[in-house]
Order: sequence, then structure tokens, then C-alpha cells
Amino acid sequence: MNNVISNILRFLLLIVLQVFVCNHINLFGFATPALYLLALLLLPIELPLSAQYFIGFITGLVVDMFTHTLGVNALACLVVMFVRPYLVKRLDSGKSTEGINRLVPGIKDTKWIFFYVILLSLIHQVLVTMLETSSFANFGHTSLVILCNTVFTSFLLLCCLYIFYPAKSKY
Amino acid sequence: MNNLIEFLKNNFHYFLFAVLLVLCLLLMGKSMSYSHYKFARVCQAVTGPVQKSWSEMVHTFSLGKENEDLVQQNIALMREHDNMFIVKEDTTLTRMSETDSLHRQRMRLYDYTFAHVIFKTTDQAYNYIVLDKGGKDGICKDMAVTSPSGVVGVVSDVSDHFAAVIPILHPDSRISAQVSPINQVGTVVWEGPDPRVAYLENIPQHLEINIGDSVLTSGYSNIFPKGLLIGTVKEVMVGKNASFLTIKIKLATDFSRLGLVYLIENQYKTELDSLKAGFKTE
Repeated sequence: MNNVISNILRFLLLIVLQVFVCNHINLFGFATPALYLLALLLLPIELPLSAQYFIGFITGLVVDMFTHTLGVNALACLVVMFVRPYLVKRLDSGKSTEGINRLVPGIKDTKWIFFYVILLSLIHQVLVTMLETSSFANFGHTSLVILCNTVFTSFLLLCCLYIFYPAKSKY
Repeated sequence: MNNLIEFLKNNFHYFLFAVLLVLCLLLMGKSMSYSHYKFARVCQAVTGPVQKSWSEMVHTFSLGKENEDLVQQNIALMREHDNMFIVKEDTTLTRMSETDSLHRQRMRLYDYTFAHVIFKTTDQAYNYIVLDKGGKDGICKDMAVTSPSGVVGVVSDVSDHFAAVIPILHPDSRISAQVSPINQVGTVVWEGPDPRVAYLENIPQHLEINIGDSVLTSGYSNIFPKGLLIGTVKEVMVGKNASFLTIKIKLATDFSRLGLVYLIENQYKTELDSLKAGFKTE
């Protein structure tokens, strides 16, 4: 129960931060971090899959409502939530699956966390940027935006993970 | 049948995924169907007020910068006003001049800059104002000082970084003025303790002055350009001295709220003053 409340609070806090702070960051004129992805990445993996999809969709839709890009973030989040269980399974292969429900640095090793965060933010940013531009014209610029956004977002997410979920904590 | 239900149960999440995906694509679609439009309107109604209040809050932090920009724009506009120039029909002035659309020569007589008030008094017998700009910023003695609403005073003293101003609210302050419709020239002086009221002197008694007439600078002092607002006539009395009227004027500048001021420099002041000095010695 405690876990549910902390998850809901995390969602609310991160969406507010995303909408009012991160969406106004325009590093080099185009790099906008997607901080709210952290809430999705920390969602317990053992939740029913349909619930996970639904949460992803709603989260993306709320962010979309504030950026007037209905559907874009919702679709990206949905796909991220869809890919996530497979990615976790793949990253966990050959290792003990103990503590699979906590996807934080204290329980997963550094390499695991880095792969997890960078791959999912890459998927998210590819989808968001491609859907927003909705054309393959000027592909060089689009890929630059994707690269910058991915680096920026993963950096921010990793910082948050290592600051707020330090390795020593015994969850 | 059971198998089918079992199949649906086991793969429910796939169906949900597909449905949500299609929903996203529909939302993204550029087609302006009524339901799409309505949904966008609902979203706008939810997020609009939140974003508006947030942007208003953030906006207050940039007001300072915006204000500076507006001041610069004001100065640029005021510099182009007609009373800044001497306009000549002939073409003897070839240097330091520009032609207007009628091919007349315009010679710039006055120039503007701005400063902020850092200290002021308004309730003393001898009031003064200190500005945050000085000699190093190009401020010099006898520059005119105005606020956005009206005339303030004259720069009396300048140090490297600061300037002292004698406002209208000073017994030594004398500003050449004229009453608007009849253009009779007089002098604005201040006597009383009230920082909102001054007097206009030297207006002959036979002239008709109405309450509410504008009192403007005359431009004869070589300090103020012509036509800046000093105040409006509040009360007309027959003075002790029978030949002149005593006219009470309400000052246009609210000295208690003075913040930003404009400084006006007469670029030919020394030249004009040397001519005037010639008159005095004779």
C-alpha cells in the first residue's frame, strides 16, 4: 500500500516538474529532457501488463495536454511500457532474478541500470521526435535532436536515480 | 468457447496495447473531426488556466528586462519628436544635419538618456533628488530631468557616478513655462510644503486663464525642450501685486512615486549661453 502511494506521488511530482520546468528548458534551442520517464522506469515490473500500458498511456497523455501535441508522448510512453518487460528479461538473463521488482541502483548493477535507462530513453526520444517532426526531411537535424535529447534525458535520469536511490540503501 | 475466453484473458494486454496505440494515432491525426476538436478543446480548458497562471508568475521575473527594453524604445521615439530639432528651410547647415521628407535641414538640438532615482526628498523646504548616473555616463550640469508623466527638475551637480537634481520642489527652482491655449510665458515656482502644487507667476491680469489649462515648458531656457508638460491649472487668484495673476498649478509629476527619469541634454547649450552672457554684460 505504501508502495502504491509513493508511486502515485512520484508520478504527480515528476509530471508537474516536467510540465512546468523541463518543458521550458531548451538547451541549444532544442534539447528538452523528459524527466517524467523516471516515474515510468521505476514502476514495479510485476504489475499486470495491461495496467502498465494504461499508466504509460495516461502519463503521456497528461504531458501531451500541456504541450499541445496530443498522442505523441502517449504513444512513446506506451511503447516504452511495452518494451520494458522484454528488456528487463533480456538484461536479467543468466543472472538471479532476485529483487526484480526494484529497478534501482542498489539492487541492479551499474551496467544494468545504464543499459536500461539509455535504451528506454532512446526509444522514447526517437518516437517523440520523429512523430513531432512527422517527416524524414532534414533527417540530419532530427537525428541530432534525438541524440542530444537522449543524452540529456539519460544523464538527468541517471543522476536522479543515483541521488535519490543510493546504492547502499536496503530496499 | 471456453478456449476463446481463455485466449482473450491471456492476451488481454495485447489487445489493450493495440487499442491504445490506435487511440494515440487517432489523437495525432491532423483530421479535424468534431470529436477530435472537442477533445482538444477539453484539454485546452483543463491546461489553459494552469499554464496561464504559471506563465504570469514566471513573467514577473522578466519584467525588469522588459522594462529596460521599453525605456530604450521610449527614448528612441522621443528623440524623433519635433521639439528635439531645429528645422531650417535653407541649406546652410551642411554639417551635423539630416534632411526630412520635405528636404528641410534638421539639426539635432536635444538628446535623451535615462537614469533611476536612488534618493529623494519631497517633504522638506529644500528638496533634492540623487540619480544613479554621473559624469562617466555622460550626465552634465544643467541637463533637464523629466519623468514619464511630466517635468521633474534640472541637474545641479555631477560626480563621477551620481548626479544631484534640483526638482521643481525647491525654492530656487525657476522653470520657464507657458499656458497652453494662449501661449503666454511665465515662470513656475514652488513655495509651499505641498509637493503636488506649484505656482505660475508673471501672467498679466487681463488674460483669461481657465481651470484645467495645460502648463508646458516654453523652450526659452535652453534647458527644457518646448512643450513638455509641467502641470495643469488648478486655481486662479488675483494676486497681492495687482498687475499679475497668482495661478496655482497641479504638478503632472507625482514626486512620491518617482523611479525612472529621462535626462535631456541641450547639445548647443554652451554656445547659446555664451550669447546670453553677451546680453547681460551690456
